[in-house]
Amino acid sequence: MRPLTEEETRVMFEKIAKYIGENLQLLVDRPDGTYCFRLHNDRVYYVSEKILKLAANISGDKLVSLGTCFGKFTKTHKFRLHITALDYLAPYAKYKVWIKPGAEQSFLYGNHVLKSGLGRITENTSQYQGVVVYSMADIPLVHIV
Amino acid sequence: MKANKEIKRLFVGGLGQSISEADLQNQFSRFGEVSDVEIITRKDDKGNPQKVFAYINIKVAEADLKKCMSVLNKTKWKGGTLQIQLAKESFLHRLAQEREEAKAKKEKSTTGSTSLLEKMGVVDFHVKAVPGTEVPGHKNWVVSKFGRVLPVLHLKNQQKRKIIKYDPSKYCHNLKKVGEDFTNAIPISNLTWELEGGNDPMSKKRRGEFSDFHSPPKKTAKVQKNEGPTAPLATRPKPSGVTESPHLPKQRAAQKTPRDPIALKLPRVPDSRSPKLKNVFFQTSSLETAKNRNSMSDDDIDSEDELRLMIAREENLEKTAWSSVNESENDPFEVVRDDFKSDFHRFHTARGVGIKNKVSCLDSEDNVGNDCDSDSGDTDEIIAMKKNANEVRNSIDLSQMEKSVHKETSLKNRKICDLSENCVKVQKGKNEVEIAVSHRVKSPSCKSLADSRSSGDADSVSESIQSEGDTEYNTMMKNCLRVNLTLADLEQLAGSNQEAPKEDTESSGQEAPAKCDKASNSHRTPGGHRKGRQCIHPEEIVASLLEGKEDTHGKQKPKENNLKPKFQAFKGVGCLYGKESVKQSSKEDVAYNNVNNDHNSLKLEDPRSMSMEKCSPFANGSSSELTHFQHGKKANNSKQIQPRKRQSTFESQGHRVVSPSSSEEGSRNSSLLLQKGKKSLSLAAKTPRRSSDEGCCHRTGKSGEDSEKRPDLSIPKAPEKSAGVSSRRDTRGSKTDFPLSVTSSSDVSAKDKHAEDNQKRLAALEARQKAKEVQKKLVHNALANLDGHPEDKPTHIIFGSNSESEAEETSTQEHSHAGEEAVKESMGRASGKLFDSSDDEESVSEDDSNRFRIKPQFEGKAGQKLMDLQSHFGTDDRFRMDSRFLESDSEEEQEEINEKKTAEEEELAAEKQKALNVVQSVLHDNLISSTSKGSVAAKKFKDIIRYDPTRHDHASYERKGDDKSKESKAKRKKKREEAEKLPEVSKEMYYNIATDLKQIFQTTKDASEKKDNRPWNEDSDGEKAEEFQDPAAPMTGDEQPSGFTFSFFDSDAKDVKEETYRVETVKPGKIAWQGDPRFQDSSSEEEDDTEETDDKKPSPEEVSSPEKQTTRFFFFSKNDERLHGSDLFWRGVGSNVSRSSWEARTNNLRMDCRKKHKDAKRRVKPK
Repeated sequence: MRPLTEEETRVMFEKIAKYIGENLQLLVDRPDGTYCFRLHNDRVYYVSEKILKLAANISGDKLVSLGTCFGKFTKTHKFRLHITALDYLAPYAKYKVWIKPGAEQSFLYGNHVLKSGLGRITENTSQYQGVVVYSMADIPLVHIV
Repeated sequence: MKANKEIKRLFVGGLGQSISEADLQNQFSRFGEVSDVEIITRKDDKGNPQKVFAYINIKVAEADLKKCMSVLNKTKWKGGTLQIQLAKESFLHRLAQEREEAKAKKEKSTTGSTSLLEKMGVVDFHVKAVPGTEVPGHKNWVVSKFGRVLPVLHLKNQQKRKIIKYDPSKYCHNLKKVGEDFTNAIPISNLTWELEGGNDPMSKKRRGEFSDFHSPPKKTAKVQKNEGPTAPLATRPKPSGVTESPHLPKQRAAQKTPRDPIALKLPRVPDSRSPKLKNVFFQTSSLETAKNRNSMSDDDIDSEDELRLMIAREENLEKTAWSSVNESENDPFEVVRDDFKSDFHRFHTARGVGIKNKVSCLDSEDNVGNDCDSDSGDTDEIIAMKKNANEVRNSIDLSQMEKSVHKETSLKNRKICDLSENCVKVQKGKNEVEIAVSHRVKSPSCKSLADSRSSGDADSVSESIQSEGDTEYNTMMKNCLRVNLTLADLEQLAGSNQEAPKEDTESSGQEAPAKCDKASNSHRTPGGHRKGRQCIHPEEIVASLLEGKEDTHGKQKPKENNLKPKFQAFKGVGCLYGKESVKQSSKEDVAYNNVNNDHNSLKLEDPRSMSMEKCSPFANGSSSELTHFQHGKKANNSKQIQPRKRQSTFESQGHRVVSPSSSEEGSRNSSLLLQKGKKSLSLAAKTPRRSSDEGCCHRTGKSGEDSEKRPDLSIPKAPEKSAGVSSRRDTRGSKTDFPLSVTSSSDVSAKDKHAEDNQKRLAALEARQKAKEVQKKLVHNALANLDGHPEDKPTHIIFGSNSESEAEETSTQEHSHAGEEAVKESMGRASGKLFDSSDDEESVSEDDSNRFRIKPQFEGKAGQKLMDLQSHFGTDDRFRMDSRFLESDSEEEQEEINEKKTAEEEELAAEKQKALNVVQSVLHDNLISSTSKGSVAAKKFKDIIRYDPTRHDHASYERKGDDKSKESKAKRKKKREEAEKLPEVSKEMYYNIATDLKQIFQTTKDASEKKDNRPWNEDSDGEKAEEFQDPAAPMTGDEQPSGFTFSFFDSDAKDVKEETYRVETVKPGKIAWQGDPRFQDSSSEEEDDTEETDDKKPSPEEVSSPEKQTTRFFFFSKNDERLHGSDLFWRGVGSNVSRSSWEARTNNLRMDCRKKHKDAKRRVKPK
């Protein structure tokens, strides 16, 4: 468990910024406490300071996870977001896609979202923009590029 | 009819509940004799009777039965429908019947089996039969593979419905023959008590059958032995031998059981023979045949010769040599070993004699006389021992297993004993003993019993015998592998011995008994030894407590445990004795018997006890029996005391001898040392030396035995135990000896011992604790001294008196020994050294003591800091730093703590900062406006906070407003200044605007205006605007000259804005529509707006008056976007391109409409 290096931070932030843009700052600089990113077993965890202190008592090899896993670095040092980060990305997401209830299940089973299944979409959403997919009930389902 | 009458069992069902047995009996007695009626009532769960039925045993003829059935069956009787059936016979009845049948069968088979077989022609069948041949006359019976006649079975396979024929001739059968004689089964009630088995001693013992009354014959034998010497000693052994010799052949011919008296007789032959016989028996064990016996007889003779030779050798050579010689020899050697035992006994006696001599026994007899006496006594005793032993062993021969074990163990023991004894002897260098031995061997018969009975000699002899007996006992015990039990037994024996002495005192009055008594006393002495040693054991205590009968019982128990086989042997011995007595000495026998009786009466009330004692000696060896007897019989307090003393002395001697010789003893010594330590701890009065001596003394006595035992056992456990026991014994013995000597009664002593034992244990525990404490103290002191030394060292510079220093030195020496003293001395040192004046010393000492006290002001972190402070300034009082100096420190400390706390936070903050930087950079890359947006986010966040004018925190917000206003004021001033110049310009502008309008309508200046728009849109940054406007200005020739007078750039902007304004007025709807989206985005352009406004103000050309400017300013500041909107508007409306495109589009649309219209018409037409 260690803090991220500059490069890692950059890579990760670039990835996250695809979804939440400048709201990334809100993740880093939170008014409700100190949160930080920690790398453990190639995974990046978003941890509050409190939990970080608690986790410091546990040896690295015994520690499975702490805080919220945001994603992992691949061997090639790319960053892959995990679904667990959705809780943090969804509120700040800049571009959203809502899916009709009928297409929701199909989508959750791994199929594409057809045009007919698209309920709403944030305007000005460009191609290849990272989005968070919501159900029509505003429940975040997934973040997709 | 009677013949036809059989007992039938009838089931009578459907009875009413009220039926009684009498009713049934009456009812059925019509048909036959009702022997038994059993009414059974079935009840349901709640206890309500459900059905009642009965079983009736009735003796009835077949016809009557049928009649009964027909008459009574299914008739209503007393509220129930009778249902009568034949029932199976009751289980018990059947069982009994079966057994009877089986019995009868068995009898038949036993009696007439052969005849039956013969009848059937099967007599030789087993021999002749080829597997598979059918047995004639029996269908389906076949000779099986292994010659047994078995039935051919037809087995039905449950699953396959196939009948398999099992032909035993074709299969290896696994049939088990069910015991025929389960009829012989012993009733359950007897099962636990009666053990089936043969007549062999083992099974007898198992059954708990012991020969109780062996004592009288033994006694007689003993008496004979004892008294025999008084009469013609020489004659006695010889006749015995003669008598035995005829007996032996007879017995051999008859091949009697090992119990036969022959064996017993054999032992009677001179001492040497008897041991030999024993050995032979042992070796031969179960396989002993007549040949063996013959050989044994030969061997006996040989052994005698050899023995004599050996004795001669012994005289010349050391016992070690003997042992080697004995070992070298084979069977005779074994015999020799037995002889060796005798030798051992002799040695023991010699030892005892020597001890006596050395110790200057209380006996008045001279050493020589003692020796002779001892010899004679020894010989007699030995003879008796041998006889007993031989008898015992012979009897034991029956139980060969045990014998073999005994042999091995005994042999080992003997060897060991020999070696040890030899060593002892060698060390002692007692020639007398050897001579005595030789004398004994040579002429055992010649020795006078009277001499032997001299008390001292007897004692010595008894000791030796006892020692032997003990050794044998031990060996036996070892054989049995019940070392503990053996010890207990020994203890019990000792207890019995103790008891005996009391009685002995009574018996001492009589002459004949007196002799025996003396002998017994001699024996007793060892008993006393044993007591001293073994009394410590709880078992011993118990034994001692159980006097007389109880004692015997106690003995019996252990004996039973260990000596059951021996008991049987003992019986045999007793018989033999009886026979011998009858045969050998008719005269003496009577007298002996009388004497024995007297002895019995005098010594022990219970013959049992006697027998028990005998038995125990049997187990040990015949010698032990004698000794035990004597022990039991004789017991004078004074004598007891003497033996004890002797023991101590003897033991001490032995210990000396042994300690150098054997390593085992060393181990014992260690144990003893431990015990000594304990003793010393417990008993402050005792000096270690003394305790050691005592321990050694006691130890030696037992150690000798133990050592013997150890090698014999060759079992690691046994030696350990023995060692432990020995140590215990030693300690206890030492303790007991002294107190016991004081106490006349053995019982009291035993009790005392018991109590003492407990006390000792407690004391030992306490002592251990004390020792631990002492050790702790020592360590403590040592450490303290270590600490103290450095303090003292500076004081080593001594100006004071020498005496003190000397004292200190001594104290240092003493430190190791007594820590406390050392401490004191060290204290003294500290005080004494540096300065002579006592005050100084005291102060110094105080300082020393105080120096290492934790001072309250130095406690805690503050204290530490103070310490540091003070340490910086030295210890001088003048510069001593008080806690006053600390106050600032405390604050610092808190700060430090806070810093520490914050350090982590800082780290995190730094990290966060880094992250933020990265975020900035990342966002920069992604979005150009991200930075500004970040600030926007911050602003937003701030905006969320509600502005509270009363709060000072929010002054910042006010400030911002003020600053802006100030700035704006400053700007306003500028603006005003500029505006003063401007008004004219503004008017011109107004006109310009008009012209613009004209142009717009004329669409002449569209292109130029477009160009203006483009730069303006991009000029959010002022400089860019300039750049763009520069080219734009020349393009728009009309406007440039107008604006050129004041400022090159502003004029353009002004113009544009004016135009836009106008445009807005013209088409507000469009502007609003297009402007809205941009409007929200442009919040960041406020600053730019101000600049723009500034730009606008200076522009001289503007026609707009200052009023207008203000409004404009206000207007512009609010709605920067409208400009954009106007641009867009312009773009859409004012551009030629758009117009042309629009026209083209309209044309196209028209065309399309027309086309569609035409198409539709066409379609309609054909339809």
